Amino acid sequence: MLTSRTFVKRTRAGAVVKVVREHYLRDDIACGAAACRLCPRAAPGGGSAPGLEARPGGPGSSLCPGPHFLLPDTNLLLHQIDILEDPVIKNVIVLQTVLQEVRNRSAPVYKRIRDLIQNPEKHFYSFTNEHHRDTYIEQKRGETSNDRNDRAIRVAVKWYNEHLKKIEDEEKTQVIFLTNDRINKEKALEEGITAYTCEEYIKSLTANPELVDRLACVSDEGKEIEGGKIIFPEHIPLSKLQQGIKSGIYLQGTYRANRENYLEATVWVHGDAEENKEIIVQGLKHLNRAIHEDVVAVELLAKDEWVAPSSVVLQDDGQNEENIENEEEKENILKTSINKDMLRPTGRVVGIIKRNWRPYCGMLSKSQIKEARRHLFTPADRRIPRIRIETRQADALEGQRIIVAIDGWPRNSRYPNGHFVKNLGSAGDKETETEVLLLEHDVPHQAFSQAVLSFLPKMPWSITEEDMKHREDLRHLNVCSVDPPGCTDIDDALHCREIGNGNLEVGVHIADVSHFIRPGNALDEESVKRGTTVYLCEKRIDMVPELLSSNLCSLRSNVDRLAFSCIWEMNHKAEILKTRFTKSIINSRASLTYAEAQMRIDSATMNDDITTSLRGLNKLAKILKKKRIDNGALTLASPEVRFHMDSETHDPIDLQTKELKETNSMVEEFMLLANISVAQKIYDEFPEFALLRKHPAPPPSNYDILVKAAKSKNLEIKTDSAKALAESLDKAESPTFPYLNTLLRILTTRCMMQAVYFCSGMDNDFHHYGLASPIYTHFTSPIRRYADIIVHRLLAVAIGADSTYPDLTDKHKLAEMCKNLNYRHKMAQYAQRASVAFHTQLFFKTKGVVNEDAYILFVRKNAIVVLIPRYGLEGTVFFEEKDKPTPKLEYNSEVPSLTVEDTTLCVFDKVKVNVMLDDSNIQHQKMRMVLVEPKILGNDMHASLSAEASSKEEPEKKKMRQK
Amino acid sequence: MASVVLSEAEKLYIVHGVQEDLRVDGRGCEDYRCAEVETDVVSNTSGSARVKLGETDILVGIKAEMGTPKLEKPDEGYLEFFVDCSSNSPELEGRGGEELGTDIANTLYRIFSCENSVDLKSLCINPKEHCWVLYVDVLLLECGGNIFDAISIAVKAALFNTRIPKVRVLEDEEGTKEIELSDDPYDCIRLNIDEVPCVVTLSKIGYRHVVDATLQEEACSLASLLISVTSKGAITSMKKVGKGSLDPESIFEMMETGQRVGKSLHIALQKILDEEENLGTSRPKVGFLG
Repeated sequence: MLTSRTFVKRTRAGAVVKVVREHYLRDDIACGAAACRLCPRAAPGGGSAPGLEARPGGPGSSLCPGPHFLLPDTNLLLHQIDILEDPVIKNVIVLQTVLQEVRNRSAPVYKRIRDLIQNPEKHFYSFTNEHHRDTYIEQKRGETSNDRNDRAIRVAVKWYNEHLKKIEDEEKTQVIFLTNDRINKEKALEEGITAYTCEEYIKSLTANPELVDRLACVSDEGKEIEGGKIIFPEHIPLSKLQQGIKSGIYLQGTYRANRENYLEATVWVHGDAEENKEIIVQGLKHLNRAIHEDVVAVELLAKDEWVAPSSVVLQDDGQNEENIENEEEKENILKTSINKDMLRPTGRVVGIIKRNWRPYCGMLSKSQIKEARRHLFTPADRRIPRIRIETRQADALEGQRIIVAIDGWPRNSRYPNGHFVKNLGSAGDKETETEVLLLEHDVPHQAFSQAVLSFLPKMPWSITEEDMKHREDLRHLNVCSVDPPGCTDIDDALHCREIGNGNLEVGVHIADVSHFIRPGNALDEESVKRGTTVYLCEKRIDMVPELLSSNLCSLRSNVDRLAFSCIWEMNHKAEILKTRFTKSIINSRASLTYAEAQMRIDSATMNDDITTSLRGLNKLAKILKKKRIDNGALTLASPEVRFHMDSETHDPIDLQTKELKETNSMVEEFMLLANISVAQKIYDEFPEFALLRKHPAPPPSNYDILVKAAKSKNLEIKTDSAKALAESLDKAESPTFPYLNTLLRILTTRCMMQAVYFCSGMDNDFHHYGLASPIYTHFTSPIRRYADIIVHRLLAVAIGADSTYPDLTDKHKLAEMCKNLNYRHKMAQYAQRASVAFHTQLFFKTKGVVNEDAYILFVRKNAIVVLIPRYGLEGTVFFEEKDKPTPKLEYNSEVPSLTVEDTTLCVFDKVKVNVMLDDSNIQHQKMRMVLVEPKILGNDMHASLSAEASSKEEPEKKKMRQK
Repeated sequence: MASVVLSEAEKLYIVHGVQEDLRVDGRGCEDYRCAEVETDVVSNTSGSARVKLGETDILVGIKAEMGTPKLEKPDEGYLEFFVDCSSNSPELEGRGGEELGTDIANTLYRIFSCENSVDLKSLCINPKEHCWVLYVDVLLLECGGNIFDAISIAVKAALFNTRIPKVRVLEDEEGTKEIELSDDPYDCIRLNIDEVPCVVTLSKIGYRHVVDATLQEEACSLASLLISVTSKGAITSMKKVGKGSLDPESIFEMMETGQRVGKSLHIALQKILDEEENLGTSRPKVGFLG
């Protein structure tokens, strides 16, 4: 039976319009209970949606021992989704009314609920009550739409209870209405519905006490969790903020907390305004409960209240949250010694436009009070404040890496409130730590889904006639690949041969990944989401499934592989005479490591085809490199280390800095050449939609620190152009200090801007500063970078080897994709660094205290940053300690130098430091460095202390806390 | 307008009947035919009504839209009339009915030009900037004589049925105004229709005049007088239709009749509308299938 009714809705679409929609009510909507024989079996529209269990066992609840289904209301679903996701909670009815309200209010929660409903093990059922003849209700006169929805939910619960009574079964199944809304609950009880708040119900699950921790603590309508002093000013409501932003009173921007100083943050103002792009916010009250990544509104302070970015390192370690005065003291530290020139626009946060909270990884700092249920949680990311959570399993969670979600931040609370979500495992454990750093850097690392894998080619795979048709057969060429040892995803191979006319033919062959990953399918979508392969110390998070990355696409030796080739004809002066691109089939003769290739080139006895080819390439590469450097390309340095892993435990047993061989630079040179040739080709062909990579020239002020540092060593660094910089870096040698040049290069690297992908139609500055190339792109690593896949597709279309598709020529979509790729690359880099840092810690764990030579890289107000070349390790040496009198510190920003008592420490000074792993704070295990030479008066204690084992530190810290 | 062709004998029959206060369908000279009124028949309008007067069938829909007030009356909303007669008869199909439509619309403008017929000030949202414009769309479904009266009844009923969403004007410090719409669908403005006039058309047949003439009677009439009367009996406008002439004496007589008939017409209409209103949402709708 089909009943049709119309209901009236008004929307606001510029003007006021009356919208009429037909609303069909039906009587064939199943209740979803497996035991129900009254409802039609198959769900309308086909498909067997997982329904509710016939005999909902579920967890034993002391409130309702019988079998029951749960029916939550909208707010409950929105706030307590974490709990509903727990495997213990099953048999939940999600009403259409609720689902729609959730959808309007929070897209991420909506997605999570949809996933839950899809999961057959959870037995979640979505009941379309709005279209059911008996549960549809109309809005009454004087009833708000919220009230109407609440009533609709209650009507549905009632209907369910009556409906389930009709099922002839020995045990009656009940429907329990869960709501945290007091009024709604009262009304429900009046109508004879069994209703509980979420807390009541979860607490009644006596068998699962751990669930209580995951309850979000949402303050119930104005009912504050506790009294106490109001700490923060009120947030201005959104509508007022928007008006204020329109009229320019407030500025809208992204809030970025300072990693090193918890009382300072910068707000990056959106829009194109030249001035006030970056606003400093200082002090707890001005930060006003904003959390890293939030979109906030700030109000500029009067000019006489402006401050300079402080160079103090401050960490929030206060256990005692009542002590606000203490905070004020700290804030005062920030304000000391203000340099007039350094003043920056300063503001205060007046309101939050959009929260960007996510679940945070971190650890529990157990409360000192025994049996306490409230504890502070310290996130791994220093930019996130501590979060107060309530848990009864603090003992079990101590020392574990856990995930916590923020629920809110009331005005009277020093810290935000949150709830426990998940336990990742014990801290320090390699698996756990890897998981943490992947989560913290937002690296998608789940296994590839079935849908993605379904787009892989069927095995055994071979090259078909069809593939051959449009490809050049280059299997006769002596192609070989040169990669680091242990590399399984080989995406490039090279060849070089003499051709009749006295010229050379050089070919770069790149894995033809775009042949396997077709635009728009699940595999493509997953790859674009991942953006890049992430290399951690002992693990690789692939961008494409392993079958492709390590087998079908990987240009392994002695198998036929599909490739995209870039072939040049060059003379012996390495001048390009002809460039040609083609899809091809190659058969690599050898997969060499850099060392092996180097050996072949060097050894006089070897004269086979591959070796000759390599020698030819090497010769050309040297000429190419010289040309590039003459053009002003920069050679930069960054200390990179490699760990030697124990083959059994995968613990690092030794580490060495990466050694660069001639062959490294040989491969690099040809990759650069291929990238530039391809960039030119796709830009000529698609001036609007070419995906290119640029490296903007850094603003001159970035070099200040470098110039000052060099000056202190009587060297001059010119920074007017890349060429001048490269030349002056080459000249900056000190006969007594050979490492100085490397240090300067490391420092120069820090001055650089980030290279980014962009769409040529959306930008007009294409220059690649570091490579001194007018145009550049990424073409040579499609297995591990998604940008290369797009470039492959563009090039394939340009040479007529493949067909195009709409999204490829949509510059807005390309620009959007570039944004994601840039983000993923940045995050991958951070994850890599974090992984190295973690392994360094593991390494030093076994080493104890190590005495090493180091160089000062930066000087801060109260600390120095040193680099230990042997380990490529960078660390901070603090001169302030809480339990010791602060030594007299004098900071000179001109040189820059720091005078501690009577010892002056200058940039690039060689020092000796003691390095050890500081595990007194398991939350952030870190490398602790103590200055040994030059000796500082009153700092002797450190030296003596460091001689002892670090285990002694723990009792000392505890003592301090009790004070 | 659709017309019927009558023979001389038929005409004479009608004229003689009227003379005796006995019309072809048995009515007296001042009797209306049986009228059916139903409101809220088109759901996507702000107000609508359908009126059947004998054979005549009229549908009126009113749509309230936001617009800017007229320059000369910055604090008032206004009404717009549009009449469509294309569905009436083959000769009025397409653009054929345009002339008649404009003619009727103009008559409606004249009837409603009287200041207090509708409280236009209540349609103002904020002076000079926003006001409600009521688009009154009249659809002639069938023409069975006396369309003006039927149209005016339908318009009045539709105005009675009109519900305009309530809006509030929010003003901030800088003077920028924003319009906020109430999210309660029951929160709306109703119009006061006490002063909305109805048209009474008096057709001169022989020496007498009749109200609510059928098509046949109209064919016998050379001149008729359109009088718009309020519920209190005040005449707001008057118009003579037809090629014949009327002597002053009979005009006065017709005005008197018009006032009298108009008053009772208003009372009857109001009674029906109130009754219908009291049925509330449970009222079974007849619509177009009934």
